[in-house]
Formats: sequence, C-alpha cells, structure tokens
Amino acid sequence: MLAALAVLAPSFHQGGNWRDILVGNAPLLLSATGMTLVVLTRHIDISIGSQFAICGVVAGLLAKAGLPMAAVAFGTVGAGLAMGGVNALLVAFLGLPSIVATLATMVALREGLRWATQGAWVENLPAGFQWFGAGQAAGRWLIVAVALAVFTAMAWALTHLRAGRAVYATGSDAEAARLLGVPARATTALVFVVLGGLNALAALLSAVQFIDVQAGAGLGLELKVIAAVVVGGTAITGGRGTALGTLLGVALLGTLGPALTFLGSHAYWERALQGAIILAAVATDALSGRGGSSRPVDVSPESARAA
Amino acid sequence: MPPERAQPWGNSSHEAVLALIVLGEVVVFSLLGTNFLSLGNAAEVLRAATPVGLLALALTPVIVSGGIDLSVGSLLGFSAVVLGELWRDGGVPLGTAVPLTLALGAAAGALNALLVARLRMPALIVTLGTFSLFRGLAEGLTAGVENYTGFPAGFLRLGQGYLLGAIPTQALVLVAAAALYGVLLHASVAGRALYAIGFSPEGARHAGLPVGRRLALVYVLSGVMAALAGLVYVAYLGQAKADAGTGYELTAITAVVLGGTSIFGGRGTIHGTLLGVAALAVLHNGLRLADLPTEMAGVLTGLLLVAAILARRWLAGERTTT
Amino acid sequence: MKRPLALVPLAALLALPACRKDEAGSALTLAMMPKNKGNPYFVSCRKGAEEAARELGVRLLWDGPTETDPAKQNEVVEAWITRGVDVLAVSVENKEAISTALRRARQKGIKVLTFDADAEPDARDFFVNQATPQGIAHTLMDRAAGLMGGEGQFAIVTASLTAANQNEWIAHIKARLGEKYPRIELVDVRPSDDDRQRAFSETQTLLKVHPKVKLVMAVASPAVPGAAEAVKQSGRTDVRVIGLGLPNACKPYIHDGVVESIVLWNTMDLGYLTVRAGHALATGALAAGADGLDAGRLGRVEVRGDNVLLGTPFTFTRENVDQFDF
Repeated sequence: MLAALAVLAPSFHQGGNWRDILVGNAPLLLSATGMTLVVLTRHIDISIGSQFAICGVVAGLLAKAGLPMAAVAFGTVGAGLAMGGVNALLVAFLGLPSIVATLATMVALREGLRWATQGAWVENLPAGFQWFGAGQAAGRWLIVAVALAVFTAMAWALTHLRAGRAVYATGSDAEAARLLGVPARATTALVFVVLGGLNALAALLSAVQFIDVQAGAGLGLELKVIAAVVVGGTAITGGRGTALGTLLGVALLGTLGPALTFLGSHAYWERALQGAIILAAVATDALSGRGGSSRPVDVSPESARAA
Repeated sequence: MPPERAQPWGNSSHEAVLALIVLGEVVVFSLLGTNFLSLGNAAEVLRAATPVGLLALALTPVIVSGGIDLSVGSLLGFSAVVLGELWRDGGVPLGTAVPLTLALGAAAGALNALLVARLRMPALIVTLGTFSLFRGLAEGLTAGVENYTGFPAGFLRLGQGYLLGAIPTQALVLVAAAALYGVLLHASVAGRALYAIGFSPEGARHAGLPVGRRLALVYVLSGVMAALAGLVYVAYLGQAKADAGTGYELTAITAVVLGGTSIFGGRGTIHGTLLGVAALAVLHNGLRLADLPTEMAGVLTGLLLVAAILARRWLAGERTTT
Repeated sequence: MKRPLALVPLAALLALPACRKDEAGSALTLAMMPKNKGNPYFVSCRKGAEEAARELGVRLLWDGPTETDPAKQNEVVEAWITRGVDVLAVSVENKEAISTALRRARQKGIKVLTFDADAEPDARDFFVNQATPQGIAHTLMDRAAGLMGGEGQFAIVTASLTAANQNEWIAHIKARLGEKYPRIELVDVRPSDDDRQRAFSETQTLLKVHPKVKLVMAVASPAVPGAAEAVKQSGRTDVRVIGLGLPNACKPYIHDGVVESIVLWNTMDLGYLTVRAGHALATGALAAGADGLDAGRLGRVEVRGDNVLLGTPFTFTRENVDQFDF
C-alpha cells in the first residue's frame, strides 16, 4: 500500500506527514497494545472509549487544579487502572462475560461523564499542559517516544515474562492453564487493569496535544482499536497473536484515512472503504488457513509449565 | 449438551426477575412521572421502541447460535436511503421499492452469512467490518447530504398511524415479528438446532445438524429485519438519511442480553428479549416524564445489566442446590 | 432467602424519588431541546435560558439527544406532549421529521417555539431567529474572500457528513462562491463528527494534500479549535482559520492570529431570548401580528412576521473577543 502511495501520491511520504501520523496514532497504539492482551485472553473490552473520555477530563481537571504534570500523569493513569479494575472485578471475579460487563461500564461511564460535565470542556489550562510544557517540537517526539517505549516493553514482556506467557496460556485454554498452575483468573484481571492503564496513558498523550480538553472524546474508539488488533492478526478466539501484528494493524488503519485523502477520494466513501478493507484483511487471513501476520504460539503443556 | 436444556423454562427465573424490574419501573414512574400511566403513553413507548425492538428480535437467534451482528444499525440506515433513492430518484413505486429494500436487506445479511457461516470467520469481526461498510455505503450513496422526504401518507401511516384509534401501526409489525421469531426459536426444528449450535458448534456438526445452513438463515433473516426496521423508521420520521439508526445495534444487544440471552450462545428466549426491550424503553420514557436527567438511564442500564446477570446466576444456583 | 439480590435494581429505582422534589406546582413549564446536549454551543445556550427562567419563575426542562440520532428528538417531544408542558422550544435537527410531532403538540394546545434552527412554519408559533442560514453563509464567505484577496483555494471542515444545518450552510456557501467569487476554489469538505481531535487530524492532512490552501473554514463549534490547533502546529503562518465557533474555546487562537475571526451570535442571549419569548407566548404578551417583544435585559426585540429576531450574526475578532464569556 505504501509503495502504491509512493507512485500515486508521492507527497504522502513527506517527512512532516509521517511525523503527524506518528504523533496522531501514538495514543491509538497504546490502547491497541492493551487490547491485544485482553483479546489474547479471549476477552474483549468495549468500554475503553468511555474510559478514554474520562481520563482526558481527569487529566484536565488535575492540571487545572495546579498539580505538576508528573502528578497529573500519575493521577490519570491511576484513574484508568481503577476503571480497568472495575472491569477486572466484573469479568475475572464475578465471572460476567467480558462483552456484557464492558458494555455495562461503557454505557454507565459515558453517561456518567455526560451527567457530570454536561458536555462542558475543561478550558483555561496552565501553559505547562500542552506538550507537558516541553514545547511543540520536543513534545511531539516525547509522545512518540513514550508510546514506542511502552509498546516495546509490553511486547517484550508478552513473550519473555512469565506473566506474558500466562496470557497466551489463559487464552488458549483457561481450564488447562489452571490445571497447569497458570493463575488464569489473576491473569485475566491483570490484562483488564493493564489495558485501563495503557488506555489512560493514551488519553493523556492525546489530551496534551491540545490547549484544553474536550468532554466527548473517544466515541467509537473501541471499534477502531479492536479493528486494528484484529487486522493485525490477533485471533478474536484468544491465544494467538502478537504485539508486532497490532503495531502493523495500527499502522495500516492509521495511515488509511490520510492516504485516502491524499488519493483524492471523497470523504463520504471513506467509511465504506474502511469496512471493505477490514473485511478483506480478515478474509485473507481466514482463507489462507492461518493468520498471515500472526505467529502461532506454542501453548503445549511443556511450554506452559516452563513459563 | 442436549438442546432440551435450552427450553424456555431454563430461564424462567431470570424472566421473573426481569418482569419484576419492568413492573418496578412502572410503579416508580407512575408515582414520579406526569401522565406516565396512560394508554397514550403506552402507545408512545411502543412506537419509539419498535425499530430497536425489531433489531433485538433479529439478534436473539443470532446470539443464541453463538454469534453476533453489529451491522444491523448500519444496515437500517443503508436500507432507509436505498428506499428513498429508489422511490424518489429511481421513480420506483413504493409497492415495488419496499420489497426491493427488504431484498437488499436479505442480500446484505447473506454477505454476513457467507463470511460467518461458509468461511467460518468470527461473527464479531465480520459484522464489525460490515458495520462500517453498510454505513459507508449509505453515506456514499447520499454523499451524506441527501435527505429523502415527502413520502406518501399511505406509507407514513406505517410509522405514524393508529389502529382502532389507540394502537400504533408499527406495534403490529413488532408483534408479528415477535410471533414469527417465537415460532422459529421455540417451536421449530431449526430453532432447536440453533441452541445446539450455540452450545457447541462442533458437537452440532457431529450430530449431523446442517450448521452452516442454520447459521446462514439467522444472518439473512437479521438482514431482512434490519431492512424492515429501516422501513418502519422512515415511516415514523418521514425522512430517510444516511445517519438513520446510528448506535441502535448497541441498544438492541443490551436489550437482548438484559433479556437473559447468553452472549456465549445456547440460551435465550424471545419473550426475554421483549422484556429487555420493555425495560429499556420504559426507563427512558419514565425518566423523561419524571423530569429526571436522561443520563441516569445510561448509568442505570449499566447497573441493570450487571445486576440482572448476577441475579439470574444466584437464583439458578439456589435452584440447583435445593 | 436470597431473593433480595434480585431487588437491587429495583431498590436503585426506588431510590429515585429522593432525587426529585416537586416545587411550585403552578409555575409555567417550558421544555427546551437542543440539537445535541453535549455541544458547547448549547451548553452556553442553556446558561442564558436558565437565567431567564430564574427571572421569570419559569420551570425549565432541558433535554435532548446526546448523540446524533434523528429519532431521539421526536421521542423527547412525544414524551413532553404526554407529560404536558406549557411551552415547547426546539432547536430542530431534522425539519421534516420533527414537524409532525410539533404539529401534534400544537393540536394539544401546547405553544411551540423553534430556536436556532427552524421547523416547517405551520409546525410552530414563532421562530427565535438568530440568523438565517443564508446570512451566516454569506457572512462567512464574504469574510473568507476578503482575507484571501478574492482568489485562491480554501477548504471546509464540517460537523458530520449528515449534519443538516451544516449541509444547508455549505450549500449557501457554494452558491455564494459560484455567483460572486469565480477565482476562489473550494478544494475539499472534510467531516469532523463534532470531534475536535478528528477536526485536528483532518486539517493536518488537508494542509498537506492541498498545500495551496490559504484558508480553512470550520463550520462546527468543536471544529474551529481543532482546525486552528492543526494550523498552529504546522507552523504555517500563511493559512488562516475562520468559522462558526464559541469565543471561549477560540480566544487563544484569535490572540495568536491563527484564527482571524469567528462568526456567531451571542448563544447565551439566544437561550435567554427563547425563554423570554416562550413566557410571553404563554401569557399572551406575544401573539400573531406582534412587531416587538420586551425581552428583559435584551430590551425591546424586533418581531418580523413569525420570527423573533435576535439580531445579526456577530463577528468576534482580536479586538472584541475578550468581552465575551461563553
């Protein structure tokens, strides 16, 4: 696709465009990385759009209260972890189906936020809010660097840490995993909390690109993120997929919108094209027998025990 | 697991809880709301609930069979604008345009069916793709701008008229669809097969059930129902625009799950779904008549979803231990 | 006896009465509906409406869609008809759809106003008119043409592709363009879905795809700061943003010079005037044939035909924007 763009719309590859796409999609990458963990354990979280909106407002309110940006970051991620914790409680400990539990939190959190803010933006933030006070040039790269560092750490942890392998084992066969001594319930709880934290960080990195915080952010984010994860080759049935695949999924969907604009398509056909591309990606995956971009993971008893 | 376990009685305690909730809402809002307890209001609740209700009916067998269809709201919008386009720009008389629109719904449903039932792709992903695709086609066809209006009075009666002076016309559509789906799910061989497939698709295959064909049936039907909901919607509002039915899929899924259908498949009833639709519709209407902030509806819906499942489980546990 | 758990949701509902206390039973009830509750435009409108309601002792109900669902407005109007209110005031999202419901309301003896965006004339008593779509479009296009020196390219960032008001404005903008400014070209119309983030990234891309664009016109209030931030971050000092936006959200950009001006009316006054007009309508102070209306702190306001006129659109610039807080 990128090669085709080079021919059809060479200006797409100008440096400034790539930088903007990177900065714009850094938050999406964080949410998608967290979602990958949840999908790997055979669960799903559709409440992240609502969480994203709340975390943005929390960040704005904390900054407005005069806290230093480090404390703002801490508080925002804390709010995300807490909301992830609620989902974890509902799914891992009360045993509710994740799609239902997070449907409940999605609606309740979104409407709760609307109730509280009545749609009002958080305005008049201190000057140190935008770009963490680091200025535009440095701030942009700071955002990309934070996102990539966290992504790399998560990708590494997923394949090298015991907890990471427990994620795969839980998603492949929770019962077997439990028999083999993998704490399936704790693992499930963990991935929801981690997603909450990553998603909160995403909300923060997105909020600091502006001078104030809008109250209605993140509508439909969950669908975009799930699409990126699935296009990246993670099986919705759990246990199969990689962080790298998700990175590719985010890259594909993140460049698609701008690319279509560069190619001169009309805005009103874009949603249809996006749908067709998601279908095509998944169909190719299904027809080629096994995930094209995803690597099957060894979840044999031996490897699970070794983990 | 044998499909027999999936008979309605398996859920009766849940439906009792749900009926209690609906009753509770009615009691609370008759106290709080102005003119809540009136025939006119009941008619309005029914009228407003019909499009989502039709989608919820369509989703029940889909979810019972272990699948999901996120594309119904988008397909509602797509059908609405195709109807408008055919009738106004294509010069097709409504008598022909209506069946054509329903056929379009069937074709769109068949696309989902092909990918889910034949290619065995996960329904969540397939319909996430068609969710964008159908809405996108509606936007593309109309450039987002076109709004079809001026439909003849005879057609608008479907969405705005009354029978016997009090019953909204579309309520009949809802009742008819509910009856049809009730028969399909609870009194037919195909329905029994759907429960079996929901419990275990592999088991159903081994038992010799035509899994692919049964699944294809529910997705195609879901498409037809979405198109039908689109017709009712256009007749209700008197306009067809590409944003029709935005977000309805989530409300419909909420109603189905609230109604006791297991999201993993294998369990669920049509009357449960109807109760779920009622619980949501009464809640929204009641809050408004009581001058309470409607954001409360969202928060309460979240609580109800969780509480209803926990309550069902508790009651089921209680029964098996006694 | 483990049944009590099943009663949790019931208990939640039964707790509701505590949230509501019925005050003054005989006060006039005025129900007012924005197009979208969460939009800052209507948030400020509500402030003005509440101010007038306090002054007049009117019981104000404020409700409307939280998402873009055209059926929601009808649902709310039907509920208010059932509830029984004295006056309905609606900012109309879809003219054809809502007019049926509003006519029903009038049949039941409810006084009906529209504000911000009109329904069909026979579906309401008066329209509280802040500016005609044509007036808005011409003000914007003429301002844009002046800034561009009468030639070159510009682009529009709109709300959603299906937003009725925006589409009407854009149609008038295109018409004005065609008849008066042959050397100006509209290169693209991009959606923002009323999301500042989306407006931001769409504008970023626009500026690269069409590097010759000299001006971005943002015609939805969350889209103005989004487009302005994109232009600011691009470092392009040769591109200007104008649009329909709220002063508070745009102030920093107007002072930066990124946003040359925004066109709007005083939205708080719009809410204020609507409640004033509603009260006057219910008490008989405003009736067909009137040529003016005493509107509290707004003084005497002109009534022309069945339109209550707020005044012409106002242009906020660096010189005057700090005098406004909404």
